[in-house]
Amino acid sequence: MSTPRITEAGQGAPARPGKPPALRRGPADPVKALMHHHRELCERAVDPLEIAAGLEAHGVTDRTAARFRHRDVFSLAEELYARVPRGAESGPGPARTGARVDESRSGQAGRAGRALLTLLPGAVCALAVVGLEATDGAARLVAGAAGAVGTVVALALCLRRGPLRAAGRTVPALRLWTLWLLAYAAYGEGMLEQIAGGGPQGPLPLTAAPLVALALAVAPAAWCARLFSVHARRKLDGSRGLEEFASGARPLLLGVALLFVCALTALLALAGLVLPHKALTPAVALGALLFLARLLIVHGFAAAAAAGLAAACAAEVAAPVLLLAGRLPRCGFLASPIEAAVGSWGAGSLPAIACGAAALGLLTHATAALSRASAHTVQTVRGADTADEPRQHQQPHRQQHP
Amino acid sequence: MRIGLLTEGGYPYATGDQRLWCDRLVQGLAQHEFDIYALSRSARQEDHGWIPLPPQVQRVRTAPLWAPEDDGRTYGRRERRRFVGHFKELAAAVCGEGDGFADGLYGLAELAHERGGLYAALRSELAVRVIESACRAHGARRTVRAAAVPDYLAFADQLERALRPLSLDWYGEDGLGAVDLCHAASGGSAALSGLVAKRFFGVPLLVTEYGVQLRAHYLAASDGELTAPVRALLAAFQGRLAAEVYTQASVITPGNTHARRWQEKCGADRAKLRTVYPGMEADRFAAVGEAVGEGADSGDPYTLVWVGRIDPAKDLIALLHAFAEVRKKEPLARLRLFGAPVREPEAATYLAHCKALAAQLFPDEAADAHAVGTNPVSFEEIGGPEAPEVADAYASGGVVVLSSVVEGFPISLVEAMFCGRATVSTDVGAVVEVIGGTGLVVPPRNPRALADACLALLRDPERRERLGAAARARALELFTVEQNLTAFRGIYLELISHSPVQREAVNEDGEPLPFAHPAEAYVPGHWAGGGAPSKGRTPRWADGPGLVAAAAGTAGEASA
Repeated sequence: MSTPRITEAGQGAPARPGKPPALRRGPADPVKALMHHHRELCERAVDPLEIAAGLEAHGVTDRTAARFRHRDVFSLAEELYARVPRGAESGPGPARTGARVDESRSGQAGRAGRALLTLLPGAVCALAVVGLEATDGAARLVAGAAGAVGTVVALALCLRRGPLRAAGRTVPALRLWTLWLLAYAAYGEGMLEQIAGGGPQGPLPLTAAPLVALALAVAPAAWCARLFSVHARRKLDGSRGLEEFASGARPLLLGVALLFVCALTALLALAGLVLPHKALTPAVALGALLFLARLLIVHGFAAAAAAGLAAACAAEVAAPVLLLAGRLPRCGFLASPIEAAVGSWGAGSLPAIACGAAALGLLTHATAALSRASAHTVQTVRGADTADEPRQHQQPHRQQHP
Repeated sequence: MRIGLLTEGGYPYATGDQRLWCDRLVQGLAQHEFDIYALSRSARQEDHGWIPLPPQVQRVRTAPLWAPEDDGRTYGRRERRRFVGHFKELAAAVCGEGDGFADGLYGLAELAHERGGLYAALRSELAVRVIESACRAHGARRTVRAAAVPDYLAFADQLERALRPLSLDWYGEDGLGAVDLCHAASGGSAALSGLVAKRFFGVPLLVTEYGVQLRAHYLAASDGELTAPVRALLAAFQGRLAAEVYTQASVITPGNTHARRWQEKCGADRAKLRTVYPGMEADRFAAVGEAVGEGADSGDPYTLVWVGRIDPAKDLIALLHAFAEVRKKEPLARLRLFGAPVREPEAATYLAHCKALAAQLFPDEAADAHAVGTNPVSFEEIGGPEAPEVADAYASGGVVVLSSVVEGFPISLVEAMFCGRATVSTDVGAVVEVIGGTGLVVPPRNPRALADACLALLRDPERRERLGAAARARALELFTVEQNLTAFRGIYLELISHSPVQREAVNEDGEPLPFAHPAEAYVPGHWAGGGAPSKGRTPRWADGPGLVAAAAGTAGEASA
């Protein structure tokens, strides 16, 4: 009966002396076989300790290492680490951080649905304007209210998901500034003309075309934002250094902004065919301003966006206020530049200047801010039950125990 | 005494690794007050809530490591310069061979303590630039040099989470500043809070690791989807952090020799290492274990028992093959496998595979032509009718077998020892360390050796009894909860008396009290002689005898 040696004191049983090994002879270099067996582990490892941890997880102990003429697993791992040929490190690694976050979540169908969703605000707004034109009296009021509510809901839906999503990154003041700018786009021109003409008298005329065009422009805005983020992430994955990324991202941002302005201008021109209005530029400037602000918010620069919008608002408020202030005795000089501007370029020039200057400011800021690599990261929740939305979490809470 | 217990992803949450022993520790050392500072690992863990806490737990503070955090503060120019200076040191030490890791770490901790805003700063472009330049600096390692922009960003993200304990509001006079001793239940992030407390308030740090955090990090990172440079950077960071934790800790208590070896490898000073075996409740097995000594019941002499979690690492296949050998020589032998209820699909597949193999190897057998047959191998669940308690499973057989190929600290082996059963186990993990000379040990993946060892025990009841009694005595000596508690009680007292936190004494109105401490309290030196846990607090010239009198006075002061 052949019995392998059993030890009570817990020493591993080495090969028995005196008996020829019954099994096949091992290779002259036993480490080579081990290396082959754990090839993937050894190639992936970034230092010897990682190999040691991996080997131990496969049941290799110091006593096993002794068979390979090593003192312990650590020195065996060191030999393996030194001996495994590591390929060129430049090879493509596993999936990069890049666009994974976005693409994993959206199937083809989801993307199509989202694209349709971005058309919704424009459609609702156009319907509302048609309703306003078609009705009058109380019905007109109802149509206006319903249209406004519908547009806001559709807009909120669009901004809740997709490339314009900015969960938890907005500041409350932003909504106020945006509403004011939109209201000014609708009524500001009429108001300014009335005030300049000695008014205000009677109800303010509504300029609907910019609103419809801006609502329609949500679709190209979403598309442009998506284009920007996808290309920026692709650039991020492809660049070796931060400077390289920045130099690639700047023209990308300018191109996307230009693309959006072109799309918006085309939409405004189209809207102008149906709903004639006087000036194109204020709406273009406003659209560009809102687009850039949203882009900044999406990438985590809400404060800068809010500052830009607030500046535009302030400029727009200043125009009628200055005009009114000019009526006070001996204050006529206050109103004269505004009057001159309205007189020579029309009432639309003032919002155009205000929004255009603010948009330029935001663009300058964005070219610097969005060309930073850190602006293109997504911070997510860890853990097995990762929710779709980053979970809002309150500050470390503390509880006292009696 | 007031103990600050620092945990990560465990106690006091109902799910987690360290909750059992932490719970026993807190329950068992009722004479101390415990403040628990816990880092949670996932939303699910927080949802599961806490286990009931005993009254000696004075307060619990928790913080999540998994959720995005920001305190909304940003830095001005001066703070930014300070941040860059410290972060550069840290990054250079992580990317290359520099030794500025500790300086950078504590610099960042001070900045976060004074100004906050570390969350945003570590994610800012500034931090990414520092990482980039550190990775490209002369002397950076080769793997790190291959890093590209996404790697910098990923590393910044991971680093922000790893350094999050620096930004917590735990380091006040009423927080970790008020405790007498920080006990970190694991290395890594939990111990990071202890490092900061030691730095700010001089609170001594005790680190207990049943599984080494660095090794766990390697195993977790290897199946993640991080790129090689990021893994290299993270591994270097964790390695430096572990080294700093081991340097600053006054005492390190590994749970077994395996953990101890890793800690030594990571730079822990041998003088600080004290192995404290995890404690297990011996009472559950007392009835079975004591019966053996009286010769009343030592289980069915022909039955081999295996108890554990069904898992491929347990190598049940080898056990079945070994049992086939045993059956050839001892036709009466039976094998009973007791497993915990199976949940994971992988384990279920493995169990089905083992059952199929058992059915193939061992046909059902009956006593005669008219009896209904049974299989000599049975798969049973703990909690079933045959074995309502774990102890019953061990009691049902004469020999307990452990056939694993991979094992950490073999709990089922210790339980078998408590039950006074003779054991045959494979030489893996901490098995040899646990069993000592009180059981048979064979090489792993060797069914024939396993079979021979089992046969030797099955045929020799006297030896079985002798080994069983010795095993029970050894387990009662080394692996009981009481032993664990005694060890920690001693270490607590020793640490607190060796390096008391020196605080300004104040009266009720917060006015300083002059002469509250006797003058001897400020005499530096080793009070109790021997050991050097108060390294860094005692000048070398003070090492010497003759300070025992001071010890008595101030130890009393410290425990007041």
